[in-house]
Amino acid sequence: MFAFATLPAGTAELSRAGQPHLHDSTQDGARALEAFLAGVERKAFRIAQIALRHEADALDVVQDSMLQLAHRYAARPPAEWKPLFYRILENRIRDVQRRRMVRNRVMAWMPWHADDEEEQTDLIEQAADLGPQPPAQLESQEIMQALERALTELPPRQRQAFLLRNFEGLDVAETAQAMRCSEGSVKTHYFRALQALRVSLGEFWK
Amino acid sequence: MSHEANTDTDREFEQRTRSLLLESADGLPGALRSRLTQARYAALEARRAAAPASTRSWMGAGAAATAVLVALLVFVPHHGGAPVTALAGGSIDDLDLLAESDAVPLNEDQDVDYDFYEWAANEADAKTEAAPSVGT
Repeated sequence: MFAFATLPAGTAELSRAGQPHLHDSTQDGARALEAFLAGVERKAFRIAQIALRHEADALDVVQDSMLQLAHRYAARPPAEWKPLFYRILENRIRDVQRRRMVRNRVMAWMPWHADDEEEQTDLIEQAADLGPQPPAQLESQEIMQALERALTELPPRQRQAFLLRNFEGLDVAETAQAMRCSEGSVKTHYFRALQALRVSLGEFWK
Repeated sequence: MSHEANTDTDREFEQRTRSLLLESADGLPGALRSRLTQARYAALEARRAAAPASTRSWMGAGAAATAVLVALLVFVPHHGGAPVTALAGGSIDDLDLLAESDAVPLNEDQDVDYDFYEWAANEADAKTEAAPSVGT
């Protein structure tokens, strides 16, 4: 008699109809991917929002990155997903920034459209509405806005290194993988970002 | 010079910025969180939709290859010109035998009766040696 003993654990279970669950590993993969995306989506959105200063663009970029990861890299080991996802996210952010740059250059030749198309984003307006705001919360929000402004002023690579290491919690190797640079470069970018932020936020950090 | 945050002040700064950023991510408005959830489901759905499509294409190719093979087996005349339908039928019988649940469990060495197979092989050899050759 054929035995299912040679099937890997988890796939040998029999269903009611007596058939083995051959799709269990696929379902596990889908569940793992969903858990991963649920775990990174908010941070990814904040990273994109800080870089782009535009809520809708940030949402688009995150959605696009999720689609790309699910479509192209879902079969990769889950340990690789995070650096891959943030690499995709950064590429998408850069795409949006490039498109904006091109659009701004084109608009510069058509000054009559400039006012209509300009999307000046107010950071204060974009800040999360946290409901009723006691003084401590207001202070925290003010510091957050200052931090966001300071992050926006950083060179992109420094900002990326800081947010991936500090906010997302990637280690140096993963950050290097996500940024496609050496671990030494990550340390340098991170160190410079830290120094610049400390200077910028000096007055808030008493 | 080390490029890592070394001083206590650096570490404190890092912790403060991290907790601020985490708070801001946790405090996203419900509408935004809902849109992020929708984006996640859309990504998972796209992956689900893509997987069966590729499977279908492989299955289609496999079915076409099988059809060609069966057509060759059934319609191409065997050496003497006679159709090989009977042989194909025999092959199917053999497949049934192989697929039977009582077939030898090749993945379980402990259940294989090696003595029997050794005896059977010796018997076959003995018969071959005993039979007169064609040329004599």
